[in-house]
Amino acid sequence: MSHKIMVVEDDQAILDLMDLMIRKLGYEPVLIANGLEALERIRDEPPAVILLDIMMGPIDGWQFLEKLRSEFGMHEMPVILFTASPSVDEKMAGIKDPYLGVLTKPVSFDELKAGVGRWVR
Amino acid sequence: MNQSIGMKPFVTLVGYPVSRSDLTRFIIIATLSVACFVITVSSLSRSLETLYAQLFYFPIVYATYFYPRKGLLLAGACAVIYEIIAYLYIFPDTGGLIYVTGQAILFVCVAALVAFISEKLNTSEARSRSIVEKAQSGIILFDQNTLAVHLTNAHLEKMLGFSSEELAGMTFPQLFSTPEDREKFFAALKSGGEARNMETVFMTRDKGPLWVNLSTSRITENLVSCTVIDINKFMLAKQAADEIDNQYKQVADNFPTSIIIIRNQMIVYSNPSFEEFSGYARKDLMGKDPISLINPVDHEDFRDASHLAETRSRPAGRIEAGIRTKSGKMHPATLFFTRILQGEIPAVLINLVDIPGQEVLKEQIQQDSKRQRGIISTFAYELRTPLQPIMGYINLLTQDPDKYGVTEETKLLLDRCAKSVDRERQIINQMLELSVIDAGKIPLDYSIFPVSDLLTEIIATGGYQKNAEITVDIPPYLTFDADRNKISTVIDTMLSNAVNYSTPPRKIHIAYISPPGDTMDRLSIKDNGIGISDSRLDEIFEPFPTGEKNEKKERYERIGLSLAIAKKYIKMHQGYISVDSIMNLETTFCIHIPKKRPEEQEDNVT
Repeated sequence: MSHKIMVVEDDQAILDLMDLMIRKLGYEPVLIANGLEALERIRDEPPAVILLDIMMGPIDGWQFLEKLRSEFGMHEMPVILFTASPSVDEKMAGIKDPYLGVLTKPVSFDELKAGVGRWVR
Repeated sequence: MNQSIGMKPFVTLVGYPVSRSDLTRFIIIATLSVACFVITVSSLSRSLETLYAQLFYFPIVYATYFYPRKGLLLAGACAVIYEIIAYLYIFPDTGGLIYVTGQAILFVCVAALVAFISEKLNTSEARSRSIVEKAQSGIILFDQNTLAVHLTNAHLEKMLGFSSEELAGMTFPQLFSTPEDREKFFAALKSGGEARNMETVFMTRDKGPLWVNLSTSRITENLVSCTVIDINKFMLAKQAADEIDNQYKQVADNFPTSIIIIRNQMIVYSNPSFEEFSGYARKDLMGKDPISLINPVDHEDFRDASHLAETRSRPAGRIEAGIRTKSGKMHPATLFFTRILQGEIPAVLINLVDIPGQEVLKEQIQQDSKRQRGIISTFAYELRTPLQPIMGYINLLTQDPDKYGVTEETKLLLDRCAKSVDRERQIINQMLELSVIDAGKIPLDYSIFPVSDLLTEIIATGGYQKNAEITVDIPPYLTFDADRNKISTVIDTMLSNAVNYSTPPRKIHIAYISPPGDTMDRLSIKDNGIGISDSRLDEIFEPFPTGEKNEKKERYERIGLSLAIAKKYIKMHQGYISVDSIMNLETTFCIHIPKKRPEEQEDNVT
């Protein structure tokens, strides 16, 4: 059984692309456009890695992360912030979370492979 | 001798004013003379042999000493009367008569001798008197005890409008215009013994005030000489100047910015704006050393600027300094120093412009650049997002050519697309990086690292070995103390440029060129590329060339923002980048960074 990679992202064009890319990488994509819905799904079928967009609704990536860590207690669930937002580096400097990474959009196939590969054997 | 020039009339005899001393002498001479005759007559009438001729020398010498001519007449008169008396009593004793005549002649001779000496003395006295009379300043002699005026000169008489007689009848204190001035003068005379250049007001004959400068000197125990200089014109001019000064103060009082005037390192004036700014009341500021209001780190600047302003009229100096207000807060301000004259005394006027006023402008600029950064950030976000599908799909197509029916030829075209997208991504990232550097938000992460490792890593990651023959000439174990990632980016930029702006066979030479004992680490990267014209050397570090520069971009357009970022990274290390180029032959970039990390980074030991 291949690893599940969850993508939480409200941009359908990107979800479509990620579907193909993750499959090409040999993983099983779980694509969700809504953060709250994603949190529900995580309980039942926890993914190996979460690719998390930041600018989205109804809860944004940071709120999602907060809930995941404190409410769900999933402190060791690898999360890769998947965003085009320039402010993310600045915010990351203030966060000490060993299970948190960043991939800045646009991400090439090779970069995605390396980024996800860090967490998935 | 001084007594002899006293001119105090006591009584008037036959139209002549006779002083007290004259009268006294007259009485002495008359008494002595009469006594002589009485003694002579009485001794002769008792048939005494002696005529007591020597007695006559007393009135004769005394009179002749004080009044040479009258004394001579007296001597003559005495001689004649003595002769007559002698004839009456001792005639016809011829021997006695010869003796008496000899005595009478001797009277006149002695009188003549005394008169001669007295005249001589009087000449030298007259000379002194004429010096006093002709002096260009007023001179007045007065008795310290009685305060009676003994002597005045013509200059003083003219100055005050009194005649010498009128002055002689006055006492010195009567000359003063007000009791206050008088008391001030006598207080000075009492305390220091003498008055020096005292400015005070005398009263003229027509009751007008006259500004004078007084200096005294003691001549005898009781007699004081006072030099009087007319400074009325000067004082009136000064008063006028003070009036101008006052008007000037009125202007300064209503000035919106702070003004203080400093003289002899003391605040002598401050306007209400300064009082408001500093929180001090005017009475607290007057006489205060302004340096006490200045931030200690700015003391030297302040002293230099005020000294310069005091000695040179132009140009007005300016410094920025912290001003400590009454509440203890330090306010930054710009101080403008101007030399002014207060009366005739040089002073320094300082105009303070509160920097918070400037701060508003600065803040506005900061806000503007913050807004600009916001715009750049939004654009970056909006530009990056659509690049994701483009980049991703191109990658997928080239990853799986068979699946998507991609031919070798199409793959080549897709690779070019991918390169272009990558380049756009890079430009967006660099633009963001620049805006963050400009905001000063990037800290340096100092560490000591081996340079050869870094170079090996950069060359391998960038794949430069494939495109160029790279030679490295650095000492083994060479280390830099710097932000490794930033230095890496800078060297990578240099290598990337070297490859991009040259044609095969490419040769890149990296060398450590610091001479022994140098305080800087210097790393040069030389290529055999197309070179950079002199006129472009500065421009290549400019992130956003403007105007005509923009049109000249030509082949360098692909430099983009990387050199601008490299320059800023090295500048953050307090170093610099130099560049030398020979067109169509070679270009050498050189990175210079201090060996010793800046002090503020010293605690950051990693």
